[in-house]
Amino acid sequence: MSDPIINVELFDANFTTALCPELILVAGFFALMIIPNLGKATFRIPGTQIRVPYFLGGERYPIFANPRLPGWIATITLIVAFVSVLMSFDGGLQRYMIVSGSKELLLINGFSRLFELIFFGAIALAAIASMNRLQSFDSSDKSTNALYNNRRQADFYILLLTTAMGMAIVALAQDLFVLFLGLELASFSSYVLVAFHKESKEGTEGGMKYFIVGSVASGIGLYGLSMLYLWAGTLQLGELAVAFDAAMAPQGYPALPLIALGFILVGFGFKVSAAPFHFAAPDAYAGASSPVAGILATASKAMGIVGLTRMLLIVASPESNDDSAIWLVALGILSVVTMTWGNIAALGSDNPKRMLAYSSVAHAGYMLAGLTAIGAWNWDPELAGHGGDAAIMVMTAILFHLVVLVCFKLGAFLVLSILESEGEVSKMSNLRGLSKREPLLAVSMFIFMISLAGVPPMSGFMSKLLMVMGIVKVAIGNMGDAIFNGDILSIGDAHWVWWLALIMVLNSAISMFYYLRVIVTMYFHEPEGDRQGPLPSGWQVRTAIFACVIASVFFGINADGLIELCEMAANSLNYSWASQ
Amino acid sequence: MEDYISVPLVGFPIIASLIIMATVSNLSEEMREKMANPIRWAILLFSLGLLGLTTAMFYNFFGDLNGFEGIAFNNYEFHKRYIWVESLGIYWSVGLDALSFPMVWLTTLLLPITIIATWDEKNGAFYHPLILLMGGALIGVFVALDLFMFYVFWELTLIPMFFLILKWGGEDRKYAAQKFFIYTFTASVVMLLGLVTLYFLQNPLEPLLYSGTMTGRTFDIPEIVNYATIHNSGGNWFLGASMQKIIFAMLMLGFLVKLPAVPFHTWLPDAHVQAPTGGSMLLAGVMLKMGAYGMFRLPIALFPHALEYFQLVLMAIGMVSLVWGSIVCLGQTNLKKMVAYSSVSHMGVICIGIATMQPMGWAAALFMMFAHGIISPHLFAVCGAFKHHYHSMEIGSMRGMAKHSPWLATSMMFAWMASLGLPLLAGFVAELMVLIALWHFLVAEGWSVLWMVGPALVLAVTAAYYLWSMQRTIFEGGDETQPPASMDGQPIPDIANHEKLAMFVLAMLTILFGVMPWIALDMMNDWSVQIFEGLIMPILGNFNGGV
Repeated sequence: MSDPIINVELFDANFTTALCPELILVAGFFALMIIPNLGKATFRIPGTQIRVPYFLGGERYPIFANPRLPGWIATITLIVAFVSVLMSFDGGLQRYMIVSGSKELLLINGFSRLFELIFFGAIALAAIASMNRLQSFDSSDKSTNALYNNRRQADFYILLLTTAMGMAIVALAQDLFVLFLGLELASFSSYVLVAFHKESKEGTEGGMKYFIVGSVASGIGLYGLSMLYLWAGTLQLGELAVAFDAAMAPQGYPALPLIALGFILVGFGFKVSAAPFHFAAPDAYAGASSPVAGILATASKAMGIVGLTRMLLIVASPESNDDSAIWLVALGILSVVTMTWGNIAALGSDNPKRMLAYSSVAHAGYMLAGLTAIGAWNWDPELAGHGGDAAIMVMTAILFHLVVLVCFKLGAFLVLSILESEGEVSKMSNLRGLSKREPLLAVSMFIFMISLAGVPPMSGFMSKLLMVMGIVKVAIGNMGDAIFNGDILSIGDAHWVWWLALIMVLNSAISMFYYLRVIVTMYFHEPEGDRQGPLPSGWQVRTAIFACVIASVFFGINADGLIELCEMAANSLNYSWASQ
Repeated sequence: MEDYISVPLVGFPIIASLIIMATVSNLSEEMREKMANPIRWAILLFSLGLLGLTTAMFYNFFGDLNGFEGIAFNNYEFHKRYIWVESLGIYWSVGLDALSFPMVWLTTLLLPITIIATWDEKNGAFYHPLILLMGGALIGVFVALDLFMFYVFWELTLIPMFFLILKWGGEDRKYAAQKFFIYTFTASVVMLLGLVTLYFLQNPLEPLLYSGTMTGRTFDIPEIVNYATIHNSGGNWFLGASMQKIIFAMLMLGFLVKLPAVPFHTWLPDAHVQAPTGGSMLLAGVMLKMGAYGMFRLPIALFPHALEYFQLVLMAIGMVSLVWGSIVCLGQTNLKKMVAYSSVSHMGVICIGIATMQPMGWAAALFMMFAHGIISPHLFAVCGAFKHHYHSMEIGSMRGMAKHSPWLATSMMFAWMASLGLPLLAGFVAELMVLIALWHFLVAEGWSVLWMVGPALVLAVTAAYYLWSMQRTIFEGGDETQPPASMDGQPIPDIANHEKLAMFVLAMLTILFGVMPWIALDMMNDWSVQIFEGLIMPILGNFNGGV
């Protein structure tokens, strides 16, 4: 990380190197619009018999008329983008800042690259799975239904790519306005994706609810941004951070930026589905097709966390006050309410998708607890005790959690996606007897459930352990030294975020109930009447599930590599802030 | 030195059973039936191999388990350490000492016996691999010398047991399995938080050999114990008085629920009644001992001051468990529930043994763990055979069993005698030693020796409920020519040969360790004396009037 940040103007020499994955997405985007339309269209030059072929439209060539093609284009685009991000880590990551004049727009560093891995990985898995989920018919079938379904394939995958694009922009953005643009691009695509599930009425209803609540939340967030601009005259993260520092006065902050901060918190709170802004989430998840719900529960949540991190840790950073952040108590309360509410609501829901939605609310609560813990500690490495690593550790835990969440939460949604292909999955009883019908799927679901619950040796346990460790480390701080200097200390002398860790582990014990219920339903109930025998479904979604299972187990047993990657990313967040 | 533990005792059982189950789940129904027999033979032979390995370890064919390394406090024989998660200071670290070895041997003993006793369990192609998986996870708990690894195996044991109860259990198995899982999981997450807090209370400025690159602290048990011992000496409290008590309480909560001690015991009767025979045998035989083992391994070794502080609380918990377990036994009509409550009261005896804080009490607790690990599987094997052949668990439903099934009646009588502590059987040695240690404790504390009446009376109650049940099941004839109602007029079979074999082996071992307890007890005595000389006496001084 010793290399300096290279500033890159738009379309500079390094532009393509710096934004390679994003450019790949753009290329895929165009390919998706053009390739399925390639046909024998010709243009007759007026007055002659010469027909000049121009290929767009007309009778389409058989390869390009294949309804599966858009799915493959999107998947390959996402995978190539994923690999190009991965390759940029090779041999130490070169950091770039995309600037326009004196304005910083996008920052490419370990932190943003890691988030791109999460986004592209999750959406690529969902795209693979959707190939089996989204009905398509042979192109010789001329019925209206077939034509309609084949036509909408491209729409769906274009929306997936725009979602990925918007999320990538959020991860890279260094200007709140750019961040907001990315957020809206991703949000609007996901509103449509939720409503895309036209087989069920809940799809449209869920999409509508998600759209209304989401746009209100965005509006409030935008209002907050405008107030922030009114106050500071800029939306640049770096300049805002300086302004917040400067505004620190013995009598406390001025009111305007604090109100703005609160409003922006609402906007991002909706994205991570933190209580009480989570009400649309269960409806949206239950209404959307399962792969889309999986994206909402993993990638979209990660996007909200990026926003919160930028806003809370970079702009209103903890060190700008004496010891702890101004938003500490508010976020702490929010996290406790979120995790408890999510778990208790999940206990009572009989719809597996709603259950997973509430469990993702609970997971958001755990991550908010982590963010709170960072706020309790000086974010500045020089002030943060031994090596300044307490806050880094929590950040590592949050990143680790977001990465492995893609494995097991998305995986669980993909299993439901296979079940959906034989009819609606709106009751827990639809899962009955899965172990008899599809032993391997049942084992996968079992692994996802115990991962979600945080049972060793799965990756979910590792992420929960890291989170608890991080919070406890923050809470205890340098108490170890004090104790060995002869001071008598007790848990009461630790920072109160220690209790967040306790509430968190107790919550994870509560969550055991509903995860176990899924396992019991799969293994110990006979299949429902007309739901017998193996499930129809292609190999694509099964491959995706298999990849999720492998990753869920692998990152639990051999977590070291991923922890180091996350630690590097967490460090780069810190350094980029420190360099400003 | 070669690694005798990681691969043969832990890695192979777990991985092999997972592979077998994955393979079998892809077979058709008939193939599964066909494969069941070769699979259980293979697993039986392998588990006998494990038993051979641990027995060879005991007789020092390799290593020197009975020597200094195995006996002395915080020294471990066959100790191996491999890097696992470097950034957090997590190691795959295994080793044996006189505390863990009897438990490991017991596990390897009970594996083949459980397999033999439940040879014809239905769905055998899954059942027997699951038993092996359970065994591997249990051994993992006992050999782990790293807090993280310990916790991972601690939780890992829940999964096969959960499935054993759910898949092969009785009527109400779903409730029982979930209750079992959630009770122990809740307690152990609190324990986890305690472990993590302990982890970060280490002072990273001190040189630690096995610390994480990211955190500067270590999960390594021997190192933490060393560290704690140094800071506990000279009248200091490691971590300070208040903090030590809190962490001690958090760790003990996890272990007391597992033990289980009253008032955290209610999961046990449910789990036992619903569990299949094999599950009950391992649950009572080894899994409960994880609680007592954990107490010795962590809170006692780390926090002797807090142990002294909470001594009377622990004593009270032990007394209440002992009395409550026995009294509730008297009221049971369900055979398995009665045996389960008798386990609760025996675990109370272990708790008392620990709370006396005498070398003899601790050796007695260790021997109780061992003896109960032989006797209670016998009890549950008998209960399982009873259920299997009489289709009922009610004590009153079957009378005159001695007439119909002499083998089962004999076995049942023997197991009950062993459980109530008949002299010359293994349980008696442990109970007697606990009573003597308790006497020492009362004298040293200057309390009235009348307190002894309680436990002594309870032992009488134990005899009462066993004898009473015996009278109601085995002897009292009624109309002896008439088979019991639950049989629906079918002829009554006696137990099968494989059941006879398993029960016979357990009975012989009960006698062996009753007549010659020193085979196992020597090691435990030495260890208890060593931990007193190495840890308790230097730190707490000449308390309790000395040894």
